[in-house]
Amino acid sequence: MSRKKAVVICPGRGVYNKTELGYLTRYHQDKLELVKKYDQLREQNHQVSITELDQASKFSPSIHTRGENAASLIYTCSLLDFQSINRELFDIVAITGNSMGWYTALACGQALDFEASYHLVNTMGSMLKDGLIGGQLIYPIVDTLWRFDIEKYQLIKDTMAQINAEKDCEIYTSIHFGGYIVLGGNELGVKLAMQRLPKIEDRFPMKLAGNGAFHTPLFSEISQKAQQLILEDSFQAPAFPLIDGRGKVWQPLSCDVGAMYRYTLNHQVTKTYDFSKAIEVALKEFAPDCFILLGPGSTMGGAIAQILIQHNWHQLETKEDFIQLQQNDPYIYSMGLEQQRRIIC
Amino acid sequence: MYNRAVIVEDNFKKCLSQNELPQTFDNYLWQSQLIPAHLCVEIFESQLTSRVLDLKTRELRAEGESFYTIGSAGHEGNAAIGAVLNLGDVALLHYRNAPFMIQRSKQLPGQTIVFDMLLSFVASSEDPISGGRHKVLGSKALNIPPQTSTIASHLPKAIGMALAIPRKVDLKLTQRCDDIVLCSFGDASLNHASAQSAINTACWISYQNIPLPLLYVCEDNGTGISVRTPEDWVRNNIAPRRGIKYFYCNGLNFLEVFEVTRAASDYVRKMKKPAFLHVKTVRLLGHAGSDIETNYRSLNEVELTEADDPILHSAQILIKNKILTPIQVLQRYSDIRDSIERISKIAVSRPKLSSSKEVVECIVPPGQVKLSPLEVHEAERERAFGREWKKLGDMWQMNKLINFALKDLMLRYPEILVFGEDVAKKGGVYNVTHGLSKSFGQKRVFNSPLDETNILGTAIGFASSGFLPIPEIQFLAYVHNAEDQIRGEASTLSFFSKGQFANPMVIRIAGLAYQKGFGGHFHNDNSINVFRDLPGVIVACPSNGRDAVLMLRACVREAYENQRVCIFIEPIALYKTKDLIQVGDEQWASSYPVDTNLEITVGEMGILGDDDHDICVLTYGNGYYMSCQARQKLEESYGIKLRLIDLRWLAPLNHRQIAKELKNSSHVLIVDECRKSGSLSEELVTLIVEHCQHSPRIKRLTSDDSFIPLGEAADLVLLQTQDIIDGCLELLGRLHE
Repeated sequence: MSRKKAVVICPGRGVYNKTELGYLTRYHQDKLELVKKYDQLREQNHQVSITELDQASKFSPSIHTRGENAASLIYTCSLLDFQSINRELFDIVAITGNSMGWYTALACGQALDFEASYHLVNTMGSMLKDGLIGGQLIYPIVDTLWRFDIEKYQLIKDTMAQINAEKDCEIYTSIHFGGYIVLGGNELGVKLAMQRLPKIEDRFPMKLAGNGAFHTPLFSEISQKAQQLILEDSFQAPAFPLIDGRGKVWQPLSCDVGAMYRYTLNHQVTKTYDFSKAIEVALKEFAPDCFILLGPGSTMGGAIAQILIQHNWHQLETKEDFIQLQQNDPYIYSMGLEQQRRIIC
Repeated sequence: MYNRAVIVEDNFKKCLSQNELPQTFDNYLWQSQLIPAHLCVEIFESQLTSRVLDLKTRELRAEGESFYTIGSAGHEGNAAIGAVLNLGDVALLHYRNAPFMIQRSKQLPGQTIVFDMLLSFVASSEDPISGGRHKVLGSKALNIPPQTSTIASHLPKAIGMALAIPRKVDLKLTQRCDDIVLCSFGDASLNHASAQSAINTACWISYQNIPLPLLYVCEDNGTGISVRTPEDWVRNNIAPRRGIKYFYCNGLNFLEVFEVTRAASDYVRKMKKPAFLHVKTVRLLGHAGSDIETNYRSLNEVELTEADDPILHSAQILIKNKILTPIQVLQRYSDIRDSIERISKIAVSRPKLSSSKEVVECIVPPGQVKLSPLEVHEAERERAFGREWKKLGDMWQMNKLINFALKDLMLRYPEILVFGEDVAKKGGVYNVTHGLSKSFGQKRVFNSPLDETNILGTAIGFASSGFLPIPEIQFLAYVHNAEDQIRGEASTLSFFSKGQFANPMVIRIAGLAYQKGFGGHFHNDNSINVFRDLPGVIVACPSNGRDAVLMLRACVREAYENQRVCIFIEPIALYKTKDLIQVGDEQWASSYPVDTNLEITVGEMGILGDDDHDICVLTYGNGYYMSCQARQKLEESYGIKLRLIDLRWLAPLNHRQIAKELKNSSHVLIVDECRKSGSLSEELVTLIVEHCQHSPRIKRLTSDDSFIPLGEAADLVLLQTQDIIDGCLELLGRLHE
């Protein structure tokens, strides 16, 4: 049987939650040596070890979701999940990610070696330890059937324009995330957006606790600082095609490493992360047989499905179509889901 | 045996696996400071992608899934041109330029070029550029207007686009701009009249040191379908010309293509002068999928060409310079082959155009939200009109009134450019553009060389670049040598680009017959059929000065707001006509409508007379003028009442509205000054038969099926006022009273 062509997706922030506690112990007993290496690096930096975080008796939002901890924890889980993919069954044709998932994608794709990738994730994750810069909120742009709602989208754009016209207010598109848009802005901008966007299902607009205004111009200083701390020579051409947050494909043999470095620490940090475009490019330029969503968590599956629906991929038109497809022959495998994980590993 | 696609692919794999690559060129040596290694590989990947797409479309054709097999095999060197030029440089591409387009797509993240090209092969309605209407190389995002041209008809508009770049800066419509225009074509196309017209015009412009940042690229594979291009024809045809700098490179060596393209594009960018880049290529896999080359070339010749496969040469360059290994090349080829195989399976399943309505929905470009035209102060108008400002209330003839209208329009729309033969200082043969050059300067009002293909092509180019051109064609008969610029280019652009590109303009044409004792056929042509079957094109024909002003304003607004192409036919014989019945009656003159908001909207007819009539006359242009004369005579002498309908807008004809206007008419006379065969009168008869349920009696009067002779003999073949009088009497059975 020929191997299934798979595009791997690395998750972003916010996917390691209460139910993910013990993820490494649960799934990566065979790779704990590698985790130990991370632990040593973190201990050198006087940071709580990954093992300690993962094996904590209870999930503590103040500890587990703090940038410097959460980023490394998620990155480690994802990277080890990647290594667990059964390559006899799956041929990886490209790797992409959402937001900080781009750093994981660089690591999975070997554009950064073990230490360099850890350094990148930890450095970027620790950037806000002295205080948040702005914030993020998430809001749907689809209807209940997961079909794109242009009126809703226009309303968001209009609201953003009004807010930006007001004194000391800044609000930007932070992430295009399938059926959702993530807005990032300064405190005042986010506050006004929370007040002015119509409430949906008592959930939205939802402020993303602990998150800064990632992927917006408010992170320009962070970008400059990062370029001083992380050097270009730690990057190299990837071993797999990587799809970034603009939908650009970095091919292993023709990768402009300098440009990839600059993208990672400049554009990617200060401008919109278009995860939807990355998935569209994955669909149309790689036509995979399936997607593999690395753990921890599985919450990104919905966003990916919404992008499939937007492009009418495999004749998908609504949420129900997708659910049916997943039941028959899954198109998206989430390694954070026990049953699907077993198919992958 | 004759499936050369299979042979060429096997040859590539065999040569690499057995290390039997072609002989090296002298200048194979790679210098990293000129072109970094990653870019060399990226260009090579574009070449491989293009090649695999060529092979795949033939395979899909065999399965009945693809509808286009003209490929780029042998021309892969043009990927290096795509690597040199910037995204801001608009590119009008030859159909063998897929490698260029693939390479350019890498300058803009988020492109899905392979999927998009496959959608175009299979004519899917999701094809992002034409929506399945034609296989074109084009992309809005990549600044590549779609080209369908196989006959070099895109070369003239490249001149307009190139002129537009510095002109926008000169007119302060944009900041400093170093963009250039690229326009590519094949060696066989070089022989087309439109190519020769364009290259001649480029030289003519450059010779006068007018900035023209234009790079023509001729990809010379030595064959036009089966016809050999004579040895060194391209070089010897172009290199000696004044005004255009000639560059040459070997298209099989992408390093050389890169280097020479850079030199040529730097020259164009810096000097703002045109250059001609001659790229020697080969043609693999025949002209198209259906072409069996061995019918006109020996097998040995075919095989020798195949041995010179550009992707083998590229592989050799990369391997010799230790950028890639043969194994890496083969693996990369295999990866691309696999992914295109997978993508194509999806592409063939995507939807196709499913109804006529869907096909035609983008013939008329979408309207666009634009700034309102400028509010012009009275003082400014007064300055532009000069001494005539105070006399606008006098009675004027048509040429003068159009002249006034143009002045007002040029004040309101800074994007308007007026050009053509003699339009500048001379003010046109009939003074319609008199004084415009003085008022608005030579950057907005300028003479063109005597070549209508160039005039219309330049207009398309300017229009595509944000200007609103109002070119003048001096006489209707002159448009016929250049008609394809309207028929094949201007009118089709929106259709082939799903409404993403448009070339709004108003083409003024002095036309129709009845110049007293002057000109003969070429100055009195009365065939307008060339414009009548162009979907989406508006054709206006005013019969008097006041209408001309109000209709010209409507045309300009249609072009400005709705991106329409408008043809504005001005009846020459009425330019200076002031009187209708007798000298000095001034029934055909009018004051200038100074309120610039006044217009006659598209489709609005001019109606003289009411429901109480004996005959309704459907007419336009000179026919309306003569019908007015006849109306007076018939009423006075016979008590016959005519109702006159001046159609004004000849295309598209509003059939239902015309039928509605005829509902109370028992007799209809169609007065058409054009020829009996094929003229508008035929369509009018048809529409009455189809739409008027009360079946009025119909009579048709036209001119004869003749060309127009000189002097008074012209009247022998042209419809006259007396014919109309007689026609009415005959229609009512009163001819012999």
